[in-house]
Amino acid sequence: MNAKAKLTVAVCALALAAGGMLLASRSMQAQQNDRAKQIGKRLMCMCGCNQILTACNHVGCQMSAAMLKELNERVARGDSDDLILQSFVQEYGTAVIAEPPTKGFSRIAWFLPSMALGLGLGIVILVIVRWARHPAAKLAAPGVSAERLEQARARADHETEE
Amino acid sequence: MDLFGSFALLLAFVCALYAVAGGIAAILTRKALLIKSARHAGMAVCVLIFVAVGSLVYEFFTDNFSVAYVVAHSNRDLPAFYKISALWAGQEGSLLFWSTLLSVYVFSVLLTYRGKHPELMPYVGVILAGVQLFFLTLNNFVANPFRVLGTAGPGGILQVFTRADGNGLTPLLQYPEMVIHPPNLYAGYTGFTIPFAFALGALLARYPGEKWIHLTRKWTMVAWCFQTLGILMGAHWAYAVLGWGGYWSWDPVENASLMPWLTGTAFLHSVMMQEKRGMMKVWNVWLVFCTFLLCILGTLLTRSGLVSSVHAFAQSSIGSWFVGFLALVVVVCLAAFLKNHDYLRSENRLDSMISRESSFLFNNLILLVACIAVLSGTLFPVLSEWVEGSKISVGPPFFNKVNVPVGLLLLFLTGVGPLLAWRRTSLDSLKRNFAWPALAGLAAGALGYGLGFRDFFSLVCLMLSVFVTLTIAEEFYRGARVMRARTNSNWPSAMIQLSLRNTRRYGGYVVHLGIVMVFIGLAGAAFNQDKQAEMSIGSTMDIGRYHLVLQTMDSQPERNYTSERMMFEVMRGGRPLLMLYPERRFFPSNEQSGTMVAIYSTLREDLYVVYAGRSPETNLPVVHVFLNPLVKWIWLGGLVVVLGTFLALTPSRQPALVLQPATQSAATKGAAQTVPAAVSTYERES
Repeated sequence: MNAKAKLTVAVCALALAAGGMLLASRSMQAQQNDRAKQIGKRLMCMCGCNQILTACNHVGCQMSAAMLKELNERVARGDSDDLILQSFVQEYGTAVIAEPPTKGFSRIAWFLPSMALGLGLGIVILVIVRWARHPAAKLAAPGVSAERLEQARARADHETEE
Repeated sequence: MDLFGSFALLLAFVCALYAVAGGIAAILTRKALLIKSARHAGMAVCVLIFVAVGSLVYEFFTDNFSVAYVVAHSNRDLPAFYKISALWAGQEGSLLFWSTLLSVYVFSVLLTYRGKHPELMPYVGVILAGVQLFFLTLNNFVANPFRVLGTAGPGGILQVFTRADGNGLTPLLQYPEMVIHPPNLYAGYTGFTIPFAFALGALLARYPGEKWIHLTRKWTMVAWCFQTLGILMGAHWAYAVLGWGGYWSWDPVENASLMPWLTGTAFLHSVMMQEKRGMMKVWNVWLVFCTFLLCILGTLLTRSGLVSSVHAFAQSSIGSWFVGFLALVVVVCLAAFLKNHDYLRSENRLDSMISRESSFLFNNLILLVACIAVLSGTLFPVLSEWVEGSKISVGPPFFNKVNVPVGLLLLFLTGVGPLLAWRRTSLDSLKRNFAWPALAGLAAGALGYGLGFRDFFSLVCLMLSVFVTLTIAEEFYRGARVMRARTNSNWPSAMIQLSLRNTRRYGGYVVHLGIVMVFIGLAGAAFNQDKQAEMSIGSTMDIGRYHLVLQTMDSQPERNYTSERMMFEVMRGGRPLLMLYPERRFFPSNEQSGTMVAIYSTLREDLYVVYAGRSPETNLPVVHVFLNPLVKWIWLGGLVVVLGTFLALTPSRQPALVLQPATQSAATKGAAQTVPAAVSTYERES
């Protein structure tokens, strides 16, 4: 191989390497952006807008730009998700995390809807099964006699006749 | 005029006070004259509040900057359009507006039922006047919109002074939708007072059964329709104005409007069990009570500053009044229930797990669980701060995780419930009604998966949407087929006749169809894309199938603001498609800025372009572009829901049986008797 050919191969190899590095860096940048977005969705903007960090672009928001910048820097530095979230908690307090933690008192927030659903389901099924077993049973009238109830119904019927 | 308005407001308070006291006296003494005078006092409240509102609007239009409320929410250059909406821009005005809408409802009820239901109406009148009295107390003594600017002069005498100009209306409210969104939402909130008053009145008057439901069904539907429209318009406003690319952020104010909607929806369903089978009377009464209480609680949450919200324009220390009122209402409701609950005895019981009744029970349960999830999530930060001393956030990720599965369960029941028979549904009937829709739903799921739908909840939503749509279509098809056979009409005509014969049922189906469309729109959120970049003139951005070129920018001084506008050429498939003009507006009167988002909306997706401001480092304009699939379905779904509600509110044209004289036989000819024997069918308005 003559010198000219060697030079050509070297230039091509360099160009390929540079291209590869550029592509790799772009792909890394895209990955970093995606990761920052995902972490940003777990954080609240602290401007009082009650929105997640990546969603807040309220006009004049003083917080979100700085917080996003900090997030991007930490992601670029290669910090782990937990470390990033922890650093935000240290800086802005626990309210910066967008959902209640799954430990301590905050667990109630998570349990309450499922508890309501479970309890409600239990009651509904119990009522249906109990009622279905005694469909014809005459319903108890603890306080009002049937006659009095019928009178009240007749009065209501009479008065609300259009 | 401020004195005139203030006086009218005070007089309205006195009339409401008389309506309560006179109404109670009328109930106790049963004197017809007292009943009449209490009713007239209740109606006079409406007239007087309108005089007060008219006065305040006049102050806005005449730029009377001696009135503190006008100074705070208007300025000379504010367009007339927004001088009307400035009425509800702040605490005092929005509470007056609340009283106004409530008084319209009260006036209509008292007028509609004047001279009718002599046992029930005095109770209803007292309850309605009591609610009015509370709001008029706030209007007069806590948040009076007619307060003037003044200083203590010589001898301590108040000296009124006038400002040269006002602070102007907050830019977020200078948007056409803000002129119609709050009235709709407030009409929903205040409208639920009517079923509440009838339910409590019926309980106090010992009106058993479903009579109060017959009387209030339409009022409830009207309130529900307004609430639905209000919520959707609020979502659209957030989407088009706030510029964050979404329409629902689970803000406490949004949650406050959703909670009574959820219980109101549950009530509209469970009410059918009371009407058809005399069941769930206690449940229905408490659903109405809860709906009203949630309306008041929502107002407390958003006005007291108890929870942080972006809607800070209406916060104050008014909360203790609402807490007191809430406590009073709870005590009155509990006392009335404990005293008279025997009159709410159920007339029937459930026969089977698979029946229309049980589907309503499950539907109510799911709606209530959704309400509990929203309420607990909204209040939890406050609770956590009280208990642990540290503030936590309950943001959109929590609400989405909890409510998305609940919503999908509800969507499933939307398809199943209406096709189940009352009392008991046989297995054959289940197969006949659900086999094809269920198979089609599964096929749609498989197709969606093949086309790249990988988000689990979106895929389930797609399957359920197909399932529910087909069950609704099946119902229309079956009914229209029978109608065609009877009347020899074509399909569209048969469909219309069918719908008009039972407007409530088919209106309900149309509402369900609208809800399916809303769900389709919500499912699209899983596929949202966005890009943000600093752009100079001539630079480009690609998102999805769109290619955006920033052609130029300009700055335009307007009457009330200065606009900085970007001009984007949007290309698709290499061809120019349209121009988009996102802009930022600067309002010198209050030195605030606002965004005007540019949206290209199609059934498939929204291209949403926001001019987010200038980069502090480079001073280049920052553009945030979103590609939000299927959003238009939400707004169209909302329209379908409203159409369905209108249909359900329309009186049905039903075939009715009438007796007509039998043809006389020769033997009886000449006799004066007619025999009611033959039966004919005719159409009548019912």
